[in-house]
Amino acid sequence: MRMPVSVPELRMGASSRQKCHPAKEKDMVKIDLPKERARDWKETMLKKMAEVLDRYRSVRLFLDICVKCGACADKCQFFLGTGDPKNMPVARADLLRKVYKRYFTLGGKIWGRANEAEELDERVLDEWVTYFYQCSQCRRCSVFCPYGIDTAEITMAAREIMAAAGVATKYVTEVVAKVYDTGNNLGIGPAAWKDMSAFLEEDLKELEGVDIRFPVDTVGAEVLLVPPSADIFANTNTMIGYAKMFHAAGISWTTSTYCNEGGNFGLFLNYANLKKINNRIIEAARELKVKKIYWGE
Amino acid sequence: MGKTILFGILPYITAGIFFLGILYRFSVWMRTPVPLRIVTTPGPKTRTGVLWRLIGDVLWFPNLFRADRSLWVAGWSFHILLWLVLLRHLRYFLYPVPEWVAGIQTAGLYAGYFIPIPLIFLLARRLLIDRMLFVSILGDYVALILLLSITFSGLLMKLFFRADLIDVKALIHGLTHFRYLSLDVPWLFILHFLFVTTLLIYFPFSKLMHGGGLLLSPTRNQRANFEERFINPWDFSVDYNDHNLSTPEKYRETLGESREGQKG
Repeated sequence: MRMPVSVPELRMGASSRQKCHPAKEKDMVKIDLPKERARDWKETMLKKMAEVLDRYRSVRLFLDICVKCGACADKCQFFLGTGDPKNMPVARADLLRKVYKRYFTLGGKIWGRANEAEELDERVLDEWVTYFYQCSQCRRCSVFCPYGIDTAEITMAAREIMAAAGVATKYVTEVVAKVYDTGNNLGIGPAAWKDMSAFLEEDLKELEGVDIRFPVDTVGAEVLLVPPSADIFANTNTMIGYAKMFHAAGISWTTSTYCNEGGNFGLFLNYANLKKINNRIIEAARELKVKKIYWGE
Repeated sequence: MGKTILFGILPYITAGIFFLGILYRFSVWMRTPVPLRIVTTPGPKTRTGVLWRLIGDVLWFPNLFRADRSLWVAGWSFHILLWLVLLRHLRYFLYPVPEWVAGIQTAGLYAGYFIPIPLIFLLARRLLIDRMLFVSILGDYVALILLLSITFSGLLMKLFFRADLIDVKALIHGLTHFRYLSLDVPWLFILHFLFVTTLLIYFPFSKLMHGGGLLLSPTRNQRANFEERFINPWDFSVDYNDHNLSTPEKYRETLGESREGQKG
């Protein structure tokens, strides 16, 4: 059914002051990023931007071909919720596009501001930090764009560029760092993971009267299950569901205390951490000598 | 002299910039790798499926259809009318005029009469809807105003200040056969001609490349064949740093002790 959506009045700068907390040094060190904003942040960012443009056709193409038809504008929940025009996907991408034009296109170099090209300066960086972290990368805009322009690709690129110069948010960096400490986003250590698994086992025995196992670190199981860690911490019914299903299907399975996180926050930061966190799944699978990996979020 | 440049040199420069420019843009896009599978669901599983998806995108604008119906009507009708007008103009370039080009003359003529309607609508919504005004930049207006200028100069020529078709055709025929003819053509034709020239030179460096870009857009032209491994051409290996509790051996060694501690 088609639900009517009321498009808000434009409220300039409505969410311009909603910023994430900056990243902490202790986390940045763990995830191979500069401890703080680099002194030559501008040059670092432009260098990274050149690299991103050469590595991601999506980014270059999406910056090039947007016709600003506005089809995406009223599809973004961040715009619908705040009314801040810079939260329209097209305008969000423009924050990157204007810098791209200034430094990487002939038209921008020649026509400058008339062609919406802009210097990368303190003010622009401030907008980047604000609005590129007000996108949840849900990709809803890409479903409505006639060219499939995916703003998630743009925000990922912008965050990667900023991260290279030591500009990141506490939330994302802390979570990524935590994965290297505990194997999951929530900081659940091995002892706690085993304890919670045992607890669910007992719980289920009481409820159903059946021995349904929640194996942890079982070498030689057939399947390694990599759930989002929230499934054992908060959404336990989901975790119980997995166990019941494995039990009913008669498949031997296990979770790993080295890698028990299906949600990869590297996606919100940069490619290197995205890959590093994914690598842990392979390492865990090799350690436990499983045949298959079931992995999801 | 001016006329020699205008009709003897400018058309060739324009054609050169237009075609080489497009080739250049495509070459940049095509040599930029696609590292990850980012196809939007529901994605086609096969290459044939991708082909159909792209044909559908080019001919029908299905995403826009879902997104904004009035914009779709204007955008889609504009493109259809433009194609009719362009095909109608083939009669100035081909001699003898093929049967099918003669056949669409009436349709092409009416397309020309109607094409200002979507164009004015597209311009008006940029100016009247506040969020469109916010995102529109000079280039958006330039494209629309150029297209409107081409349309009106063409229509005026058709309806009121008629150019001598024999001369016009001789001129274009000469150009396509690399023979320059010095002929008298009315100022309105020169104006029409200059607007088109400007648009063609502007085309490869602007958002007007969106049609070509669509074909290379990874979210539209990838397959949703998630069973097959996708190789990132520039993939690099990552190393853990000393602060990370990786690999599993280091992790167990470090945390094993603290686990004992907790128990006690």
